[in-house]
Amino acid sequence: MTYRGALAVNATPCHNGNVSLVTQLPRRRTRLVRAGAVYIAVVIVIGLAAASRPNNLLVWVFSALVAAMIISTFASGILMRRVRALRIEPRRGRVGEPLIVRYEIRNISRYVPVYDLHAHEVLTSERLRCVGDAWILHAGPRDTVHAESVFQPMRRGPVRLCDFEVSTTFPFGLLRRVLRFAQSGDVLIHPEIRFLRHEILARVTAGGVGGQRLASSAGGGDDYFGVREYRAGDSVRQIAWKRLAGTGRLATIERSRAVPPRVRVLLDLRSPTDSLRVTANERARDLEESAIVLAASLLSLADRMGYEFALSVAGVDLPPIALRRGHFHREKLMSLLAALDLDAPRTVGNGIASSDERATIIAVHPDRSDTTIAPRDSWHFTARQLESMCEITRAASESTTHADASSVGAAEERA
Amino acid sequence: MTLLRQYRIASFLLVLLAIISFAIAELDFTMLFIGVVLATSSWYVTEGPRGRALPEWVANLLVVSLLAWTAYDFMMFRDLVEAMAVLGEFLLWLLVIKLFAHRTNSEDRQRLTLATLLVVAGCLESVQLVFGVLVLVYAALAVWTTMLWRLTLSAESARASRAANAGFALPLEIAIGRRAAPQFRGLVIIATATIFALSAGVFVLFPRFSGRTGGPRHGHSVSGFNDEIQLGNRDRVNDSRRELFTVRWKDSSGALHRAVRPLLLRGAVLDHYDPNQQRWSSDRRSTSIQTFRTSVGDHLSKIGRGDVEASLNDSIAEIEMRSLATDVVFSLYAPVAMATPETRLIAFDPTTMLLRDVSTDRVGRYWSYRLQVDQQPSTALLESLATSESSTERAVSFPVPKMRAIAQSMLNSAKAGSNLPSEPQADSDAAIRWTYNREIARALASWMKANFTYSTDLSSNARVENEDPIVTFLQSSRNGHCEYFASGLCAALRALGVDSRVVTGFIAIEFDDDAMHYVVRESNAHAWVEVRTGEFAWTAVDATPEDTLLRIAGENRSFIDRFRWIYGRVEFLWNSRVVAYDAAAQTTIAQGMQSQWRAALGERMTSASNALRTLAARFNLGAGASAFWFAIIALGATTATLAMLIVRVHRNRVRKGAR
Repeated sequence: MTYRGALAVNATPCHNGNVSLVTQLPRRRTRLVRAGAVYIAVVIVIGLAAASRPNNLLVWVFSALVAAMIISTFASGILMRRVRALRIEPRRGRVGEPLIVRYEIRNISRYVPVYDLHAHEVLTSERLRCVGDAWILHAGPRDTVHAESVFQPMRRGPVRLCDFEVSTTFPFGLLRRVLRFAQSGDVLIHPEIRFLRHEILARVTAGGVGGQRLASSAGGGDDYFGVREYRAGDSVRQIAWKRLAGTGRLATIERSRAVPPRVRVLLDLRSPTDSLRVTANERARDLEESAIVLAASLLSLADRMGYEFALSVAGVDLPPIALRRGHFHREKLMSLLAALDLDAPRTVGNGIASSDERATIIAVHPDRSDTTIAPRDSWHFTARQLESMCEITRAASESTTHADASSVGAAEERA
Repeated sequence: MTLLRQYRIASFLLVLLAIISFAIAELDFTMLFIGVVLATSSWYVTEGPRGRALPEWVANLLVVSLLAWTAYDFMMFRDLVEAMAVLGEFLLWLLVIKLFAHRTNSEDRQRLTLATLLVVAGCLESVQLVFGVLVLVYAALAVWTTMLWRLTLSAESARASRAANAGFALPLEIAIGRRAAPQFRGLVIIATATIFALSAGVFVLFPRFSGRTGGPRHGHSVSGFNDEIQLGNRDRVNDSRRELFTVRWKDSSGALHRAVRPLLLRGAVLDHYDPNQQRWSSDRRSTSIQTFRTSVGDHLSKIGRGDVEASLNDSIAEIEMRSLATDVVFSLYAPVAMATPETRLIAFDPTTMLLRDVSTDRVGRYWSYRLQVDQQPSTALLESLATSESSTERAVSFPVPKMRAIAQSMLNSAKAGSNLPSEPQADSDAAIRWTYNREIARALASWMKANFTYSTDLSSNARVENEDPIVTFLQSSRNGHCEYFASGLCAALRALGVDSRVVTGFIAIEFDDDAMHYVVRESNAHAWVEVRTGEFAWTAVDATPEDTLLRIAGENRSFIDRFRWIYGRVEFLWNSRVVAYDAAAQTTIAQGMQSQWRAALGERMTSASNALRTLAARFNLGAGASAFWFAIIALGATTATLAMLIVRVHRNRVRKGAR
């Protein structure tokens, strides 16, 4: 199954690209906010006072309050009548990084401006948490304004964004007029990437096949690779004179090609979640997720160190991915990890028996190491080792984040 | 300046305006001065270069102290109106404290709420034009501030949610279109105008229940008139030139003209003096009060028995209230008949000849009435007005021991160079007694006019301890205003055994030649004396020098008075159209609209019917069948139009949705 197919298992893309057109008018609703309820109570009290005390000035104040209520009811409806909105969601996000969703608000009215618009996502998945709604101060007649909401991805996996609401309490904050736009969009949340210590990969690739740093084909290096028949155009300097003297046939010496170290991460998901061995304080699903995070972190570290890397997942019907380098390759692997469905039935026996890739194989297990899944010279890690492999532990990372936040707050205060 | 920055200024102005409005409503200029100064200084303190705020514990301490002070005031209040005033003052000072507090969203919300409640409390206190204008300005400013507040509140909450996730969420970048501020101003203007228009509609339709009493303190608008006289305080008398009402004076032929003498409009009769409290009051409760309903239109309802025909002396006084809401009917002596624009229930006291509106909706009306009066009433007329209680003679004396000697001394001085009749014997004829009373009173009044000075400012008068202010006035100071003149004359007359009483009301001396009516102002509040000159007759005697009153009235005119009539007209409109708008006015408007609608609808129906008849005749449909056929055609046309509309709306929806 291809990557697209794997993604399609959990989430059906509903549009071409990341922007889908709104094909129907928004649903409109009006909600009474708390301030509005208080306001109505106050108006009723003043109305009773005005009725019981024949004071015309009080009656006028009551009338003005009632008029403000009527205006509030109709004005927000008129202002929002010609507001159209479009969500521009990103294709992917990552756990631990802000996910920014943009909204394009169009005011197609000729004359009426709109103020104080909130764009709010109606989330049906727990994978996302909103940490800042989009807010638009003003959109003039025929204006198009962009605003952004910030979400915190909580778990990896595909997320479907269905409806979003654009609302306002303008002009007086008594009623909230809501436009609900139906626009589906899919976002794939990649697993979290932890910053692992550099020496881990350096050590596992220091010797053995992964550390040869030689390609299986000839190149322009210094080391000897082999001899082949002379071809026209070969440099005279590369001719194997001894071979010529012995055999009388022209031969050319080939030099090896220097290649970066190679790492293949093998994620072991053969055991169903229920059969994992966990302690009293652990949850089996968390261990599996940690294993995925460790695999993603290893791949990310390999990418940062310039290695060629690949991913194999045992227990899932997924063919091994070839060794490659680069950002796109990494994103492809991350998407693959993101789309893994741990609730799907597992397959048995598709580990790596032997490999001629000359790559270091790192097997990542959720609960305990199983050396039978990979050749003998492979490395095995478990999910429990994740914290110890990190450059910065999670607690330190959080304290650093808080320190950053307080410093930002202090900076804003100074400003 | 950006929209979000305007909010600070707008909210401050709103609070300031609320403070000013309430102080104006209370007519408390000390409160106005202190409140405005504190509020203005709060802007510098909190928004100035140092930007400091009151520490929370100090603010809390001040609030607790204020609460204690208010609780004490509440325990001391006498009626509900005073309680509302105390509550308003509490709100005002609480608002001032809040102005010095930290500026947070919650504090802002509290300030705006308190400001609105303060204005509402002011509405319970006053219906004056100035306050009304301030309320209108407040409403307009409140619309602007509230709309700005919405924007600010949303911006703050959006910023706060981002700040709560600082380090993760990006700082808020405010999305804003082109020309936000001018478009916002336009929206504010439209919203304000619409609110004013709608509120006018609600105001007109709001149900008014007749029979309710109470309302704001209309008497709070100091009119100068009082139904008691408190001597001894050395305040200035009211010299306000606010126009209270107008009097049109017609003779028996119906011609408008100026009366020969100033018109004395009676409001209250004070026949009891309390030397301990140094106060004139009316303690005699008449048991023969008569009530009658006034006529509407030209016909006048007779007062009393009404069995005496009109005489040539009868005149008509048309009194129209401008800014005075009262149930007292100010009338000249002696009232004969009365009419009002709408039927009112009037109480007539035969002993004092006073009239009072006792209708159930005594709301304090800016009304008008016509009075037929006879300034030289015949005995028959007086008998028809009076009851047996009116003729009851009483032993006359004055409860201040020294007064007899003072009065005798005054009388001796007044007698010098004049041929006053000697004091009649106890068994002498009643007519001689009445003549003696009148002559003595006139002589003493003339003597006082010649030897006493009129002044509205008594602050320079020396006050003698343990001495009655009337004695001080007559013996030493000889300087005072109309209340002292009336009190002195009445006291002297009573000490001499002459039955007399003090009357308070207004004196109409300012005649507008263009409008041909008297203008009565607050400063025209007056007091004079009535002396018994018959079994039922009383004669007005005024010891206050009229020329001095006229001179003071002329001196009080300032440059502003040239334009004061504009304010007077506006105030009259305000009072008559807004403040006095009630169930009766609602009924009048409803009836007027109903008749207009009926007339307009009738015309349309008639023309439509004619057109149908013409068509029926043209197509030979027949007289009976025409209505049926036209009904069928009208139904079909209506159905087709509705169907077309529905299809069109549906198409529009589909088209817009696709776009």
